[in-house]
Formats: sequence, C-alpha cells, structure tokens
Amino acid sequence: MGRRKEVELADIVVPPLGDVQEVRVVRWLRDVGDEVEAGEAVAEVEAEKATFVIEAPVKGKLFAILVPEGRTAAPGEVIGKIAEKGDAE
Amino acid sequence: MKRILWVSLGRVRYHKALEIQRKLHSLRGKGEIPDTVLSLEHEPVITLGRSADPRHILADPAYLVAKGVDLVEAERGGDVTYHGPGQLVLYPILDLRGWKRSVKWYIWALEEVMIRVASSFGIAAGRLPGYPGIWAGDRKLGSVGIYVRSWITMHGLALNVDLDPDGFEFIVPCGIHWAKATSLSSLLGRPVGLGEAESRAREAFAGVFGVHPVEGGLPEAVAA
Repeated sequence: MGRRKEVELADIVVPPLGDVQEVRVVRWLRDVGDEVEAGEAVAEVEAEKATFVIEAPVKGKLFAILVPEGRTAAPGEVIGKIAEKGDAE
Repeated sequence: MKRILWVSLGRVRYHKALEIQRKLHSLRGKGEIPDTVLSLEHEPVITLGRSADPRHILADPAYLVAKGVDLVEAERGGDVTYHGPGQLVLYPILDLRGWKRSVKWYIWALEEVMIRVASSFGIAAGRLPGYPGIWAGDRKLGSVGIYVRSWITMHGLALNVDLDPDGFEFIVPCGIHWAKATSLSSLLGRPVGLGEAESRAREAFAGVFGVHPVEGGLPEAVAA
C-alpha cells in the first residue's frame, strides 16, 4: 500500500465553439468511475442546432461530472474531472 | 481553390446514409479522404435529434409503420424532423479547421447555401432569429442539424424542393407548433426537379465555402 500518491485531476472543458455563449449538456457518454482513453468521446453538448462532442483530455478514470445532463455551461467552463491515476495506492 | 468531393447518392434510406457518413467522418478525421459532400434524398423517415421531445411525433407508431415511415434516433443537434423524397439533403463531411472553428459560422453557412438556392429560383427566403433553418415568410423551407467531433462535421441541411408536405403532418417540426413547412415547388406553383435543385445547391455551396466541388463516387474504403 505505502504512501498515498497525489491524484492528478484533469479538467474536461467546453472548448470555444465560435460565438457561442452557452451550450447544454445533452448527454454524458461515460459514468463516474469509468476508464476513459485520451481523445475518447465523453460528453455531448448542444448549441443552436449543433451537437458537439467533448473528448477526454487525458487517459484516466472519470472522477466527477460537474455539469449534469440538461444543464447549461459556457465555453471555457469545466464540466467534469478525470483522475489521471485511478488508484491512490 | 480548394477541391472537395461531391457525391450524389440518389435516394437512400436514412440508416444507410448514416453508416456512410460515419465511415467518411472517421476517414476524414484521419486525413485519408478530402472534404466531401453527400447529396441525396431520403426514403420517408422521422428523425429525433439530441434535444428531441417524443411528444413532437404526432402520428401513431403503427400508422407510421403502415405508411412505410422509419423512425430513427440521430446524433445531430435539434428536435424532431421529417425527411422524404423530393427533399434535397446535403451531408458535408468537412474539417472545419480548413474554414473556421465555429459551429455558429458553419450553421450560418449552411443556411446561406439554402438562401442562395431559393434566391436562384426567385424566392426570397431568410433567417428567423432564434429559429435556425430558412424561412419563406412564416413557413419553413429548409432545416439544419449538425454534429461536430474534433471539428469534423456530419449531418447538415435539408431543403424542401418538391416533397409531399403531408409528411410534416406526422410531427411538430423542430418542436415549433406554429411552424408549417413549405417547398420550392409550392412557392413557385410548379414542379421542381431534385437534379435542378442539386446543381444550384452545388453552385451555392461552392460560392459560400469558396471551394471547387468535383463530382465523383464514394471513396473505395466506404463504397466497399
């Protein structure tokens, strides 16, 4: 077991989509605790008539969903967190 | 001028077109194919976008089956819509990084293509703030619904050329209760061929996106 290591948390951010002030999180494609690969689709947001896929910035475990389905977020906002090291052993 | 591939598929079932789009989207992401536009019309189908409210389907599912209308969930943005023969559908598979990293601009550009096609037929169509798509007065002439991953697009636009407006009676288009659909042929009072509309759409697309569309078949990896 040994000492607990720091768990690095990476932000899942809504990227700038170009003149869009607000998006709605329409679905999370992964649940908290799921392993995700870097670049894997983790969420879908919608603005106007566009579905935009949010990808995992790093490989790890989906640690937290900060903006649940149906809620809105602004570009630049953190909507979830990925733990880069799954186990703190 | 940038060349894009323009593929006319004729009449295609929604599922088949979706499968082709997904393959093209993946290949475009890997840089294995050029920017490509699929041009087609669908067999009758009602699709539910990501924000779809099932209550906006007015027809009984059994009635839809009897009428041969498919019901499909789609990953595009938006609510419920209807596609059918006589509607020109364009599915551009573009890497938007070659133009502008803006979904708003892209939707504007797709609307602009349809506005120019309508204008080439002498029809003044325009935008209605807050209601994406194009409108002739208070009637909906064309729709947009897109999907973007890694700035590569899927889905696109649907322009009512000469379709049976009864198809729209199955649904509340885009969830807007007052929205009635119209078509180029209803507005002109004459039949309009899909081929004629497509060639004008190709020209309009070339103008709006600043590209040279080259007609061709599907890339080998997709056609197989």
